[in-house]
Amino acid sequence: MTRLIKYEFYKSFCKRSILVVLILFSVMNLFKINSEFHSYSYLADGNDSRSWNSVYWQLYEDYRGEITAEKINHLLSVYQPLADATADMTASTAKDSPDMMTGNIYSDRNILEKYYVEPMEYFYHYRTYALQVAERAKENAAVYKERGQTVEVRKNSVIYNLYSGRSIKDFAYEEMYNYYLNYDFSGILVLLLCLYGVVSTFVCEKETQMDMLLLTNPGGGKKTTFAKIAAASLFAISVAIWFSVVDYIGFVYFFGTAEGGNLPLYAVRNFSTAAVNCNLWQYAILSAVIRAVGVWTMSMVFLLISLFGHSALVPFVADFGVALCFIITGASQSCFSNTWLKIINPYSLLANRILFGKTEFISFAGYPVQSYQAAIIFAITVGVVSITAMMMLSKRNSYIFCWTVKSRRRTRGTFMSALSNESSSH
Amino acid sequence: MSGFMYEVKKIMLWQRGLFYIALVLLLGTVWLALSDNPADIAMEQYKKEYEWYLEKVNGYCTEESSLYLEQEAERIAEAKERQNSLLENYYDGKIGESEYKKESREIEKVLERQNGFEVIYRQYLYICENPGNRCFLQTNGWMGLLGKGTLNFILFLGILLIVTPVFCSEYSCQMDTLILTAREGRKSALYKLLIITTVVLFLSLCISLMEYGFYRFKYGLPDGDYPIQSIRYFAGSSKGMSLLEGYVSIGLLRMFGGMFLAILLMLISVLAKKYAVTLLAGAVSVMIPYIGLSKTSIYRLPLPLPFLLGTDFFAGDIVMSDALTGDEKIIFAEVGTVTLLPLLSVSVLLCALAVVWILRRNSNSWLMKSGQKKRGAAFVVMFGLALAVTGCSGRGKTGSVVYNSSAAYDCMGYEIIRDEENFEYFLKNTSMGETYPLARSPMFGVFSDDEKICAFYVCPPYLYYTTSVMESYVNRVGNYNSNITKVSVVELNLDTFEEKTIFEQMTNSGRSLLGIDYETGDKWKFLDFHQAFFLNDDNLFFIGNDGVTKVNRYTGKTVKLDIPVNGNISFDGESIFYKNEQGVLTRYDVSDNETYTYENIVAYDFCMDEQSIYYVSRTDGGGLYSCGKDGNNKKLISHIPAMSVTCDTGNIYVLSKESGEEIVLPKSH
Repeated sequence: MTRLIKYEFYKSFCKRSILVVLILFSVMNLFKINSEFHSYSYLADGNDSRSWNSVYWQLYEDYRGEITAEKINHLLSVYQPLADATADMTASTAKDSPDMMTGNIYSDRNILEKYYVEPMEYFYHYRTYALQVAERAKENAAVYKERGQTVEVRKNSVIYNLYSGRSIKDFAYEEMYNYYLNYDFSGILVLLLCLYGVVSTFVCEKETQMDMLLLTNPGGGKKTTFAKIAAASLFAISVAIWFSVVDYIGFVYFFGTAEGGNLPLYAVRNFSTAAVNCNLWQYAILSAVIRAVGVWTMSMVFLLISLFGHSALVPFVADFGVALCFIITGASQSCFSNTWLKIINPYSLLANRILFGKTEFISFAGYPVQSYQAAIIFAITVGVVSITAMMMLSKRNSYIFCWTVKSRRRTRGTFMSALSNESSSH
Repeated sequence: MSGFMYEVKKIMLWQRGLFYIALVLLLGTVWLALSDNPADIAMEQYKKEYEWYLEKVNGYCTEESSLYLEQEAERIAEAKERQNSLLENYYDGKIGESEYKKESREIEKVLERQNGFEVIYRQYLYICENPGNRCFLQTNGWMGLLGKGTLNFILFLGILLIVTPVFCSEYSCQMDTLILTAREGRKSALYKLLIITTVVLFLSLCISLMEYGFYRFKYGLPDGDYPIQSIRYFAGSSKGMSLLEGYVSIGLLRMFGGMFLAILLMLISVLAKKYAVTLLAGAVSVMIPYIGLSKTSIYRLPLPLPFLLGTDFFAGDIVMSDALTGDEKIIFAEVGTVTLLPLLSVSVLLCALAVVWILRRNSNSWLMKSGQKKRGAAFVVMFGLALAVTGCSGRGKTGSVVYNSSAAYDCMGYEIIRDEENFEYFLKNTSMGETYPLARSPMFGVFSDDEKICAFYVCPPYLYYTTSVMESYVNRVGNYNSNITKVSVVELNLDTFEEKTIFEQMTNSGRSLLGIDYETGDKWKFLDFHQAFFLNDDNLFFIGNDGVTKVNRYTGKTVKLDIPVNGNISFDGESIFYKNEQGVLTRYDVSDNETYTYENIVAYDFCMDEQSIYYVSRTDGGGLYSCGKDGNNKKLISHIPAMSVTCDTGNIYVLSKESGEEIVLPKSH
């Protein structure tokens, strides 16, 4: 079986065209990451000694690491005079002032405010906020207990456990991770590549009518179908993981740093109510795995649809249409509070901040289930159902089929006599 | 039958070309009808009033029209003022009824079209920014027709379906070699090219004409000879063309875009000979630049995408200022004629080369000459050059309750209190004294100041409240926005404290979805400014600064009701009660949209409960009266002249005019 899977994998996916598309998409992805850096980051202004980039990394050594009262006081002693001097917008707008780090007083204030004061303030206060949430959850649990709302009691106790120990102790550069976690473009590339790879799996043999021949082979029929599904799964998962790795390396390369990996996930502001407690680098791995699950599910759905086509045309356009619908609905519904819509859409697993960015629950059999857990279970179920459907819909091996049917109906003797009758009639 | 007709039959019937064309046109029409919203809702709602003014000023903004509008604005402002003083005088007995009626008729005549005037005055302010190339005209039709820069996905998928099998079907069954040996071999490819080009041009033309017909029928497309800058989408454009010329140009560009895509697909199918590769290349050539590149870059690429979009070739620069640094950043750089013409020429050249290549690849074998490789190399070089030249560089059933916008909330033994320090809302149990945060989610409002509660509505056992939440992850102005503001209506069961979101809507437009601008328009802007709301099973009603807006809970359809918000607004589940501009109590039935005026009730203020309406009469010396919901059974409750009145289940609260103190009167009084 392993050999069959290997052959199928080589046949369907180790093609020059797939390799070319993979390389092309990886290059496009890197270009896009580079453009994200230049569009979003204020630190993309070169290496001049007065550029924000240089000034930021010079100051960084003073403030990185554990957040202490001295560091905060030191930062405020630099920032506050600048803020006071620029409050009424009457300060000098000269761009080459020798006393200023970036040459301009407003620019100095802005860089300190955006990259040091605001993040440090958020990091410092996060513990208090999280404690507030835990306390509220505790109170809520008591209120719901009085009212006999068991699910709500359980939900709030999960929230309590999740938030009660949260704090951000260290200061580090988190901008790269912010944009890395909000990056979706590679998800579309992965989907297109999987669509291209997967759609030909069954269809290429139908186009050349090799499917009929396959059925006469001892290894054909269901065995081949299973091998194809396994190879396609392997392909989808490999592609998803490959692009996750390219994303990470791309972001680290273009932003010029991997700093901040040890910060907790909730250090990124739009993950302040994150559904899991882990570090950013751990989340990068988790995100790659979850994305692979999402891509696998969608690939299985693509594969199932392609089973009905005689050429790649209709399955490709149908799969492409389905993928577009998933993407557009998934992206447009991502900010709404309807958790079920996020759970049933596999796109949520691809852009998994939709699930991990917020602590959301659904109630299942009296127990609260976090949205990401439900989405993973749902996606795996859909994938397994698609595989089962494909196995059921695929034709059985005719070679085995003939023999088993005949041997059940007749004994060897009757079979031989039937043969001799047939030859005598001729 | 000639070879051409065979090809037509094959493409149209065997490859289901006709079916796909019909499907694209059908789905395109249905989608257009379902997704269309007027760009300017007020212009559509007050169409007659607006048109009345438009007739007077239609065209360029001349000195006379400018003077007329300014005078009219003054006249309306004066009339409003006069109306107020007239009412005061009449209710104070300073003028008689006949004089009041005579004067108010005159005032009403001035004010009868004020909603339409507001629309035209807004347009006037827009025109004043650059009166040289902007005109007064009905803009909704043109905005719908021209002001949409999004890709027509249905047409795109249709082209993929129609074009891909043309060559691929023959490669898949290896008929291509057989065709090459036939005498008509080369002609077959030519026929295919001609047929597909005609089909795609026809399809694009039909869609353009269908859109034209739709908008002409729905809003009207008058004054096509006015400059394109007359509509906001093209405000900064430097191109001197009329609206109709703009439509024709965009239509032609889109037709060319469709043809370009079809030729590209055919070229790829001839080169790759595989369905999957052709489809992938087609999808990638359009989708990846669409999602991955900024608009400025898209419109400088010799690809089918910019032509399929078309619109922004004629739009002007979009410049925004960065919130942090104050620097100005170009979000979209106008495509000048100097860029457009070379881009178009290069694209046409690429199409021509592709056609030549397709024909060569489908030439009969004996026509092949040596030197093919050289030409191939020349083609690659030219393609590369061309790229370089163009700068590749669920809901709960609501019970019956009477809502008064001015009254305190009667929440089944709970009181809503607001913490003045951190602006949070709490529920206080009046008997036990316990307080609970109103929003049940422990995370709400803790990490962000942009999560807040806006308004309440009580309908036992439910307390409804609206929340406004703003999210973003990019703080820099640029090609990609991430701002989302959403308003939600949450239903809280006060018995069980269970919470459910019953309505949610994104209100802002500063957002891009996977790099594609996601416009919400101004349809939901009113939600950002609502101060109060109420609801029934079918509709939500939001009270804003300038009126009440009805929102259908199932369809999301919004209607702005003609209800002034100058005082209390009450709702009993079926009708909205309010004071009209003249202070006369009025009832608006929400199911049949009928208005009934209680001529005999002129009130300074009013409130109501299940049975009665309590009002401070303006005509009877400011005393407090009560009457039934039908306006009958008028009873005097108190002689003391009052300013305002509110009520709860047991008492009526009156603010005395003389002492300024609140007087409590039991209802049994």
